[in-house]
Amino acid sequence: MNTKDNHTIIEVRDLVTHYGETQILDHVSLAVPRGTVYVIIGGSGCGKTTLLKHMCGLLKPSSGQILYQGEDIVPMEEDDLAKMQRSIGIAFQTSGLLNSMTVGDNVALPLREYGNMDEPLIQAVVRMKLGLVGLADMAHLMPDELSGGMRKRAGLARAIALDPPLVYFDEPSAGLDPIMACGLDELILDLRRMLGITFVIVTHELDSIRKIADRILMLDRGTVIFDGTMEDVERTETERVRQFFERRPDEYIVQRTI
Amino acid sequence: MNEIRLTCPPRLDKESGSELFKRLRHEKVTEGQTLVLDFSETEFLDSLGGARLIEISDHLRRWGGQMRLENEHGDVAEFLKVITPALSVTSSIQPKEVEVLEKIGGTAITVGEEIWQFIDLCIDAIYWTVLGPLEGKGFRWGMLLDEMHEMGVRAIGIVCMMNFLLGLIIAMLSAKQVENYGVQILVADAMMIGFARELAAVMTAVVVAARTGAAIAAELATMKVQEEIDALRGMGLNVAQFLVAPKLLSLVLMLPCLWVLGLITSLSGGFVWGVFVLKFNFSVWYTETLNAAHFQDLLQGFLKTIAFAIAIALIGCHNGLRVTGGSRGVGLMTTRAVVMDIFVMICIDIVFATIFYYILG
Repeated sequence: MNTKDNHTIIEVRDLVTHYGETQILDHVSLAVPRGTVYVIIGGSGCGKTTLLKHMCGLLKPSSGQILYQGEDIVPMEEDDLAKMQRSIGIAFQTSGLLNSMTVGDNVALPLREYGNMDEPLIQAVVRMKLGLVGLADMAHLMPDELSGGMRKRAGLARAIALDPPLVYFDEPSAGLDPIMACGLDELILDLRRMLGITFVIVTHELDSIRKIADRILMLDRGTVIFDGTMEDVERTETERVRQFFERRPDEYIVQRTI
Repeated sequence: MNEIRLTCPPRLDKESGSELFKRLRHEKVTEGQTLVLDFSETEFLDSLGGARLIEISDHLRRWGGQMRLENEHGDVAEFLKVITPALSVTSSIQPKEVEVLEKIGGTAITVGEEIWQFIDLCIDAIYWTVLGPLEGKGFRWGMLLDEMHEMGVRAIGIVCMMNFLLGLIIAMLSAKQVENYGVQILVADAMMIGFARELAAVMTAVVVAARTGAAIAAELATMKVQEEIDALRGMGLNVAQFLVAPKLLSLVLMLPCLWVLGLITSLSGGFVWGVFVLKFNFSVWYTETLNAAHFQDLLQGFLKTIAFAIAIALIGCHNGLRVTGGSRGVGLMTTRAVVMDIFVMICIDIVFATIFYYILG
């Protein structure tokens, strides 16, 4: 492994993907440095979530490479893919908690499947992880008894159950009130600092991006139009990026001749 | 003359817009001509007036003409600016003409894909139900017990009730039919043969398909919609192992049990009619029923329930996992699962009848 690989935890090269005949992603490339909070932004329907699902092997691309710790996950067989997925935590937009089990069992699920631990230790880990996200005393509740923000945090607790080096988080603050959203941002930063987790986050909450992003990638209609730091954003000339950060709507294109 | 000028009325609303449209029709725009709409007098424009403009622009486009707006001002100009995007696209979106062959091909591909997915699921499910646990790869026994309780124990009431009533009805109707021949005791034989071969299995399976088949499809579909399936796969868990296998095994274990209960209750339905209404002696009816019981009939009924159980579980899972779109998709797939269940059950039934009574004799 060369030095570059050590710095990059996951890399996407020339990813092309289709749903049916519609092209969703068009030659997307990116590299996520270890230990950063990498934010993927873009308008609705630009392919952010699709990109994320490719990066954890849930979808197979039409072409391109996805290198996790230097290994291409695209041609991987199911078993290897499952092994790779265990080392990635995924927190879903709608939390993805299994509604048929308690919050505690949800967090315990990956531990029971792969952790090779005995039950008391599992319970201890569950309490610790739920404590990290501020839900220590909620383990016995069912997911539908939690509020939206709590569910997201519980989803995050499950994602970090196996201490993954890399965590994907789809829209952490969507649908949360500002206090809750801000709390979640703090939590992400804390987890990165304390556990050294690399985060890849899909969001379009501007305040949240300003606060947590080390690096920002912007997608527009399936292509990468910006990849850089927050300072780069301030200096960029790309109209679409400026529009996004200044919250300007699309202007009506006044066509006199119709 | 390549331009036609029309002056818009001071108030452009639904009625005056319609007037404008009529005037335009008199002008007979031909291909390549441009209609210039002069807004210099227009001070008022409402949304229906705007809609008329959109109508006009659609017509012009159809005739190969163009439209240009001039001298708009004030509020009217603002409003026109807002509706410009609607003016610049043709509203009557023509659905893409699909050739017959293309349609057939498209359907064939979809059906082919679905069959392939189903086969894939079957292989996975059977692997994780039979070979996986044998190879020590783990099976969710805890979940199996839950499922058996839900699918089996909780269905006892309805299965017994339906079979009992059906038994009663069949006895009632067939007794009426043979009344004139004085061979009403043969109703006991008919009940045994009919229910062992066919009715108990089908009736039980229909109840279970409506109950459990729908529940399986709805549960998996909801899990898919709420990203729970993705979450499982994202944790490297196998959906077939985690969700499908316990359901499959549970139904394969429970449906034959329900069938036995169904058979007993349906025969008791006939029994009630025979003993209390037709006034046969208890032991006469009992002996007649037992005499009509043949191992081959019972075996056929038993094996059929296992085939039904596999079909119901896999079809439910298959449809649940195929869901797209939100809550509407869940409803559609649940309906589809039950309809497919019942259809496939009848097909299985035909296969069994053919094998047992025509091929094996």
